[in-house]
Amino acid sequence: MGLITEKTPLPKLQPVKFILNWGRRYSLWVMNFGLACCAIEFIAASTSKNDFIRLGVIPTAHGPRQADLLVVAGTLTDKMAPALKRVYEQMPDPKYVISFGSCSNCGGPYWDSYSVTKGVDQIVPIDVYVPGCPPRPEALLHGIIELQNKIKDEDIEEKFGGKVQPAVS
Amino acid sequence: MGRSSPLSPDEAGSRLRARFGSDVVDVAEQHGHTIATVTRERYHDVCRFMRDEPELACDYADFTSAVDWGEERGFELLTHLFSTVHHHNVRLKVAVPYDDPVVPTVSDLWPTCDWHERETAEMFGIRFQGHPTPVKLLLAEPFEGHPLRKSFPLMTREAKPWPGAVEGEEVEEE
Repeated sequence: MGLITEKTPLPKLQPVKFILNWGRRYSLWVMNFGLACCAIEFIAASTSKNDFIRLGVIPTAHGPRQADLLVVAGTLTDKMAPALKRVYEQMPDPKYVISFGSCSNCGGPYWDSYSVTKGVDQIVPIDVYVPGCPPRPEALLHGIIELQNKIKDEDIEEKFGGKVQPAVS
Repeated sequence: MGRSSPLSPDEAGSRLRARFGSDVVDVAEQHGHTIATVTRERYHDVCRFMRDEPELACDYADFTSAVDWGEERGFELLTHLFSTVHHHNVRLKVAVPYDDPVVPTVSDLWPTCDWHERETAEMFGIRFQGHPTPVKLLLAEPFEGHPLRKSFPLMTREAKPWPGAVEGEEVEEE
């Protein structure tokens, strides 16, 4: 995020910050990291009945490098975890992650499994958790609105200025 | 391709017994399928016979898996065969000792068994002698242990016991 540095104090001004955050929260190009049945609910949320495009979420960025929002929908296994990490690292700042469904929140029904990662937040930082097994598309819409409210008040320099490293290895 | 003429479990068993004698330990019937228990030494020969004998003609291997019966009884290897010519099912069982879990591969007879044997190998720690690519299939490469063995500890359950037991249900003693 080249615009936001210590040398450019402009985004610190309240009106500029408002406009930047306003633009960001209503043009979220989304990347679906679909791993299990939750991905089907994600697709349902993107189609005409629930239609998250009306909230400004634009479905299917062409790749992680064009995406602003990553939705981890499904059961992440330890073997898949490096791939998720890599997809997340390819996304440009500012980037947001929604953990969609019980499996990606905490392991869900696979809480005692030998192969499932118990919580995607061990791999990437999560902004919004959507509970459910699988959650209904409406729950994803709610999660997106929660994320947009979060972006509204965001200090982008504080989050992405490079001062605070996310506590993820 | 002739008309479909499935062999009954008795007929299939008698053909196996006629060819392999006492190496066919047991023949049983389950849901119309033939269940034949054979010795480990003749397992590969039995499989070849099952495939090549025109009356049996088991040209399709459905799956290979195993059961862990504990340290005393050891493992039981299962290979499910099906004949697309005669439409009969045959399940071969092989007793594998717990402290020497080695069986010959049958992936040279049915390429299907290649991946099934790799999965069985990583899940139960059974070594398939002569397998062309004896590496893990599903698990991550650094994974240690064999998760489908009964002795494999589920670390999460060490910290928190299974919460799904219905009231009044007997809790398994560790």
